[in-house]
Amino acid sequence: MDIVEILQSAWAMRALLAGSLVGITCGLLGCFIVLRNMSLIGDALSHSILPGVVLAYVLVGQNLLGVFIGSLAAGIVTVVLMTWFQQNAKTKNDAVIGIVFTAMFSIGVMGISYLSHTPGFHLDLKDFLFGNILGIQDSDLQLTVLISVVVILGLVFLFRPLFITTFQPTIAFTQGIRVKSVHYALMILLSIVVVSALQTVGVILVVAMLITPASTALLLSDRLHRVLVLSGLIGLVSAVLGLLLSIYAQTTPGPAMAVMATLIYVLAVFFAPRKGLIKRWQRQRRQKLKVDLEDILKESFKLQEAGELGLKTLITKISIPAPRLKKLLGYLNRRNQIILTPDLSLTPEGISRAQALVRAHRLWETYLVNQIGLTEDQIHDEAEYQEHHSPDDLLDEIDAKLGYPSIDPHGSPIPPKKG
Amino acid sequence: MSTPNIQINGVSVTYDHKRVLSNIFLEIEAGKIYGLVGPNGAGKSTLFKAILGLVEIQSGLIRFGEQSVEEWRQKIAYVPQKDEVDWSFPATVLDIVLMGRYPYKKWYARLDKKDHEMAMQVLKKVGMADFSRRQIGELSGGQQQRVFMARALCQGAAYYFLDEPFAGVDITTEEKIIEILKELAMEGNTLLVVHHDLATVSRYFDRVILLNQRLIAAGDIATTFTDENVRKTYGGQLSILHKLKN
Repeated sequence: MDIVEILQSAWAMRALLAGSLVGITCGLLGCFIVLRNMSLIGDALSHSILPGVVLAYVLVGQNLLGVFIGSLAAGIVTVVLMTWFQQNAKTKNDAVIGIVFTAMFSIGVMGISYLSHTPGFHLDLKDFLFGNILGIQDSDLQLTVLISVVVILGLVFLFRPLFITTFQPTIAFTQGIRVKSVHYALMILLSIVVVSALQTVGVILVVAMLITPASTALLLSDRLHRVLVLSGLIGLVSAVLGLLLSIYAQTTPGPAMAVMATLIYVLAVFFAPRKGLIKRWQRQRRQKLKVDLEDILKESFKLQEAGELGLKTLITKISIPAPRLKKLLGYLNRRNQIILTPDLSLTPEGISRAQALVRAHRLWETYLVNQIGLTEDQIHDEAEYQEHHSPDDLLDEIDAKLGYPSIDPHGSPIPPKKG
Repeated sequence: MSTPNIQINGVSVTYDHKRVLSNIFLEIEAGKIYGLVGPNGAGKSTLFKAILGLVEIQSGLIRFGEQSVEEWRQKIAYVPQKDEVDWSFPATVLDIVLMGRYPYKKWYARLDKKDHEMAMQVLKKVGMADFSRRQIGELSGGQQQRVFMARALCQGAAYYFLDEPFAGVDITTEEKIIEILKELAMEGNTLLVVHHDLATVSRYFDRVILLNQRLIAAGDIATTFTDENVRKTYGGQLSILHKLKN
């Protein structure tokens, strides 16, 4: 059967729809989980609902409402236990979270494996751990739709309270906003999202759908509205691509979705327009280029003053490898700051640029000695850095503060400001 | 209309068996700017937090006139120290200032055009109108402080609690904030400012509160901000006294 035929079948349509909805709701909610540093809680809550599911199954059989109520109850028990241990035992907060959720999870796993010996019992541990999206029934789908509507409406109406209590809980409290109520509302939304994600990705991987798309979106934008929309979209795309991949490669869908979400995240780490690594490397390269060009100008200027400027002397005086030096000299030539033939010589424009750099360097040295109180042998490296990173108005301010000095601490003249 | 005075009667605060504030009696009047000074660990921030109901008080009572702080939340603006803010948070300048309107809104309500107009108006007042769409981390220290000042103004609060608003800001911002504080005091609001630069105390504030776990002195600058009281507050740290003379 080829993939188009598969996608036309009812079970695949149901899986696609359920996966998309879970991707969107997890993505949206995940933004607040990540921003509140609650990733561990998300993971903990999803693991902890397992005993609730098992208990519901024992009591009322395979009944959706039962599973839903059982999960919610287990979620509440978990939160209560965590709070009690955090307040009464002298154990670190995150350690308590770890202790409680692994205990709850283990009880659930033990329950399932014990019950699996009973005849007529059809729970498969694997389905809980990694989801069973391909086995989704219409009733499951209805619950997922209902949960998605509740979560999206909840987030729309709670947007402002969530925004301020996530950003500055203390200030929100002083303004009279009910910080605790907002927190519990978020925890309830989180619990029901986890329930809806149970069949899609399973308890172990819910956290991936919560935090990975959200973290990706936070790399792409720094406007909260946009982060939410992006995160929902990325969750959706991860779910759909993951499902397609799993059908194509005949693997488990839940992990495939998590892998897709991670893939998109890694792409964003490198290629995000402003916060990506590629962009940062570009900025660093450009900065290095600027510093090297300025060092060449300054060194050439000193040599020209001494009547010694030439390619050979410059190479010995400067710590830039010769091939790069030649390339950069060509660059300066095109900028009309240096003449290459018959030998090197600075143009008037190059001279004035170099003087500005010498001025910056010597002003900084004077400032570091006079105002900061450093000694003459401590100042060179700092001035060497600052001369490349000081805007003109900052230099003017330093100049004024020093009373327009004409000699630096080493006794060299400080060139006057041009223009 | 001026608002009730804040009455602090015999307040003590203890953290982990360590007493941070001891038996403080103080009355903070409306229409005056109070500078709260004292060495590190003197309990300045704790006093703020006690008044705002953020820490539990061991003994004593804090009242806003006849009422508790809960009755006045809508009218309380707290400007935190700059290093307590997560500057990488995905929020714009306008987002932050609009938070001043939140106490007046039901939790599910949307902000309307009037809220946005008020926000832009106060941004203009602090000279930040052109930056409304910037993410907060892209601003200089002074600009960041002005944004939080704008939020307090947008709230139209009656009580202003500012924690070191002049730390690490440029001169323009410092003057702007002082100008706004004086204006707010004239209108009968209550202003309490944690401050650490003793040299500027007499220029900025009407009254000073000298604190070092105990209340050393409180009152008008001329009668209270004396060498002796400062020495009592700072103990052996005489280099600071020296600074005061300049």
